[in-house]
Formats: sequence, C-alpha cells, structure tokens
Amino acid sequence: MRRFLDGLYAFSGALAGFFIVAITLVILVQIVSRWMGYIVPSTDDLSGFFLAASSFLGLAYTLKKGGHIRVSLVIQRLSRVQRHRQEFLVLAVGSGLATLMSWHLGYMVYESWVFKDVSVGYLPIPLWIPQSSMSLGMLIFNIALVDELIRVLRGAKPCYQDYEDELNLEEV
Amino acid sequence: MDPLLIAGILTVVLFVLLAAGLWVSLTLMLLGLLTMVMLDNNASGLIFATTTWGASSSWALTALPLFIWMGEILFRTRLSEDLFEGLTPWLSKFPGQLFHVNILSCGIFAAVSGSSAATAATIGRMTLPELKQRGYDTRMAIGTLAGSGTLGLLIPPSIILIVYGVAAEVSVARLFMAGAVPGLLLVVLFMGYTALWAKLSPKSVPQDTRHFTWADKFKAIRNLIPVLSLIIFVLGSIYTGLTTPSEAAAFGVAGALILSLISGTLSTKSFNESLMGAVKTSCMIALILAGAAFLTISMGFLGLPRMLAEMIATLQLSPYMLLVYLTFLFVILGCFLDGISVVVLTTSVVLPMVQQAGIDLLWFGIYIVLVVEMAQITPPVGFNLFVIQALSGKNILYIARAALPFFMLIMLAVVLITVFPSIVTALPDLMVN
Repeated sequence: MRRFLDGLYAFSGALAGFFIVAITLVILVQIVSRWMGYIVPSTDDLSGFFLAASSFLGLAYTLKKGGHIRVSLVIQRLSRVQRHRQEFLVLAVGSGLATLMSWHLGYMVYESWVFKDVSVGYLPIPLWIPQSSMSLGMLIFNIALVDELIRVLRGAKPCYQDYEDELNLEEV
Repeated sequence: MDPLLIAGILTVVLFVLLAAGLWVSLTLMLLGLLTMVMLDNNASGLIFATTTWGASSSWALTALPLFIWMGEILFRTRLSEDLFEGLTPWLSKFPGQLFHVNILSCGIFAAVSGSSAATAATIGRMTLPELKQRGYDTRMAIGTLAGSGTLGLLIPPSIILIVYGVAAEVSVARLFMAGAVPGLLLVVLFMGYTALWAKLSPKSVPQDTRHFTWADKFKAIRNLIPVLSLIIFVLGSIYTGLTTPSEAAAFGVAGALILSLISGTLSTKSFNESLMGAVKTSCMIALILAGAAFLTISMGFLGLPRMLAEMIATLQLSPYMLLVYLTFLFVILGCFLDGISVVVLTTSVVLPMVQQAGIDLLWFGIYIVLVVEMAQITPPVGFNLFVIQALSGKNILYIARAALPFFMLIMLAVVLITVFPSIVTALPDLMVN
C-alpha cells in the first residue's frame, strides 16, 4: 500500500511535468506553423487543457514536497505536542475540504459527459476528457491529504514538514 | 445575514485559519465556501467546480509554468558566475565598485526569472563570498543584495505580474511593458544611493588596484552575450507585439535549454530537477489562483467589493488618501503573507474600490508589486530576508537593518510613480499605438 501510494504521487507528479513540456511544445508548434503559413487548430484550447492537467496532477506531489505555502509564523513557535495537534487539525480540515472539492469536480465531469459539452474552439473537444484530468488530480491530492492525516494519527510527522524547513527558492 | 456581519466573521476566520497553518490556497477556498453557506447559496458546489475549471484552464495563464521553468533552468547554469566575471571589469572605476555587480546582476537575472527569492539566491551565493573575501563592507553587501533581489518581482517576466494580470483581468503583455521603466528606475536609484554611500564612507570599499583594458572588458562581457540576447529576444517579442507572453515564454524555455546545453550544464538530472521544481511552484500558484477565483465570485455574491466602492464614493476620499491607506494595509499584510497571497486577496476585495477612486488598474498592478517588494524585505516574513539569512548566516534583524535604506528607496519609487504616473503608463501607451 505504502509503495503504491508513493508511486501514485510520483507518477502523477511526473505527469504534471510531462504536461508542462507538452504546453511548451504545443505553443512552439503553433508559432512555427504560423510562420510557415499553416494554422494548427485549437492550440489555445489545448495548451489551456494541458495547463489544468499539469496544475492539478501535480498537487499531491507538491503537497508531499512541502511546496504549498502557508503562514509558519505562529506554528513554528508551538511545542512538539501542540504542533502535532495543529497538523492534525489542518489536515482534518484540508481532507474534508478536498473531499468536498473532489466530489464537485467529479460531478462536473459527469455532467459534461451526460450533456455532451464540447469546447468552443475550432475542434469540438468533449469537455469531460480534459476536465477529468483536473478531477483526477484533485482526487489524488485528496488521497495524499488523508494519507498524511493517517500518518499524524499514528503519531508520526507529516512528510511535508521535513521539506518546509528547507528553503524553497522559487517562492515569490 | 447582514453582509457586514458576514464580512466581519470572514475576516476573523481568515486570520485564524492562516495563523493555524492551513495552506493559503485551501484557506481561500474555505472562505469562499463559508461565504456561500452564510448566504444560503445552494449552488456553491457547481459554482466552485465551474469557477475552478475556468480559472485553471485559461490560456493566458500558460505563461506562468513556462516562465517558472525558464528561471529554473537558468538557475542551474553558470549564469551567476558569468554575470560576476562579465560585469566586474566594467565597474572597477565606479564609486562602490563591486556593490554594483550585486545590483546589475540582480537586474539582469530578474529579466530572465520571475521570482525575487530566486534572484537573490542565485546572485547572492556567488557575490556574497566574493565581496567578503575582497574586504567589502558586509552590511552594505547584504543591503544591496536584499534590495536588488526584489527586482525579480517587477522586471518582466514577472510571476507576480502574471498572477495580477490574470486575477484582475489586465493584459499581461501591457503589465510587462509597464514594469520595465519602474524596474530600471529602481536600478538607477539603488546604484545612485550606493555610489553616494561609497563616496561618503570610502573606508568601507577596498581599493581595487587591478587595471582592466578595453580588451579585457570586452572579453569579459562576451560570456554574457547569450543571456542578453535571450532577454532581448523574449522581452522584445512581447513589446513589439510579435508574440503573446505565453509564446515568448515557450521561446524562453527553448532558449534557456540551448543556453544550458552550450554551457555544458544540461543533463538528464538537471533537466528533471528544473522541471519538477517548476511543477511544485506552478501547482502551488495555480491552486491559490483557483481558490482566489472562487473567493472573488463569493465576494461578488456578498456584494462586499461593491459596498466598499460605494463607501469610497460617499466619503469623497481622494485617490492619494486611498493609496496611503492601502499602502499601510499591504505592508502590514505583507509582514505575514507572501506577495502572491497579498495580490489575490486584494483583487478579490479591493479592486472595485480602486476603480471607483479613478485609479488605472494597469498602474495599480505596478504599484502593488512595488509595495510587495517592500514587504519582501521587512521582518518577520520577508522571503528575501530568509534567503539571505541562509546565504550569509546573519540574523534576520541584521539583514532587515542592512536592507532599510533600500526599503526607503522603493518607497521613494512608489511616491515617484504616484506623482508621475507616466513612468508606468508611457511605455505601454507608446507600444500599443
């Protein structure tokens, strides 16, 4: 189970990276073909869809690596016991919220599928396809949050805590 | 429930959740949800889903991960060494000498990277040890680095300007044009102050006896040609309207990869590290933007932004007074929150108020970034302070004191763009016509 979950986060994180590369390639192809007088249809739609896929599939990976920012001013002053309770609390709230969001995003995909919603661009792409990447990413994020919650319940430190002390150079 | 009561409850909940260490993105979503619940809106789930999808699949936002990735690639090249070696011979006769390498290197790196912490870290890890070894005053070395590191926020491509542009629905290309002159203004202010300081306290700057001929100077700057051409190409193509910011960013990534290949720093490992670094940062920002989009919609249902705007209208508050209040508010918020969170919270609530007061949203974007820059170097939460603390081993108050003159210089820049708004608007106006 442990190996499966860690593999899941790593794999979806890698997919997020893949989609960033895909955005770059789609945009480059679009420009080069424009210079050569061709119009590749729906590249704007496509790069937007890839962006959503990348942003959401990478959520769990980012959580585990301590990439999501939060205010640490107060919590870093807490004692070990207090800190443990605090992490439990935020993970419980986070898990609950993520469950709600996964449900609603999943329901949106279902509706797009039932009502056969398509994108407004040149190529009518069924919206449930790109939307499901977002919904799936949120679900994996949800699993990762619950996973961390269980870790904390068992008395361990959440994974992200080790990384948060490290400097994240890209924080703006 | 009374909207004002709801607004009061929300403000308290916001600070409690943030202080409790809930992630900023989730805090924004929870606040949005709470607003909807208090308003008895039973379509909140549907609104959440469609808003999130709309905010996350926006084509304009694709520039964000690409510019982040570009910075990540260049961060792993020899760029900081090249900047130091290339600029040193040119500055050896200028009062303050190598202090200016700090400022100019940060300015140039800022033009390929969108983040101020990355700018301070990349340049600082090269220049701080060098300056110390040559006997330069440590405090001034740290001050120049802290101040000019913040240039990463303003000089395009800038991540925070993309965030503002998407959240406030202002053209990112125009924001990039608007940021250029104020960015250069800051560089001039920083260099001018440093030169003046060096004249007044000559003992703090060691005598550099090395003599550089013109041949040396041109030989040294040769290594900078690739990165300078990359900057000119990326920004030039946006400014001339040849490409959109997203397209320029895709070129930037390609250019950065080529540059990294030439310098021999490109490997499978550095490629993967740069890509996963970009994933972490862009996912973090994307979720914050999704949360902010939902909060903005909820605030619209609540009518709070409109009420604030009407209040401004009835109070007959002048734009200048409003800006004074807002500056205080942002500097205080910036003491606890990072720049992006300050910007998205602002756009959810105060933008209609700002518009009502007759302030141009393009100008306001540059103004808020300058104020966020000040917040980056004020304790207790200033990301640049943390970065420099890690690099120099000095404590945070020492660094904040060293950075104080530069804080004042950024404040001066805020005053200057308020009195002469054309510093911001002239370039975008010129480019559009």
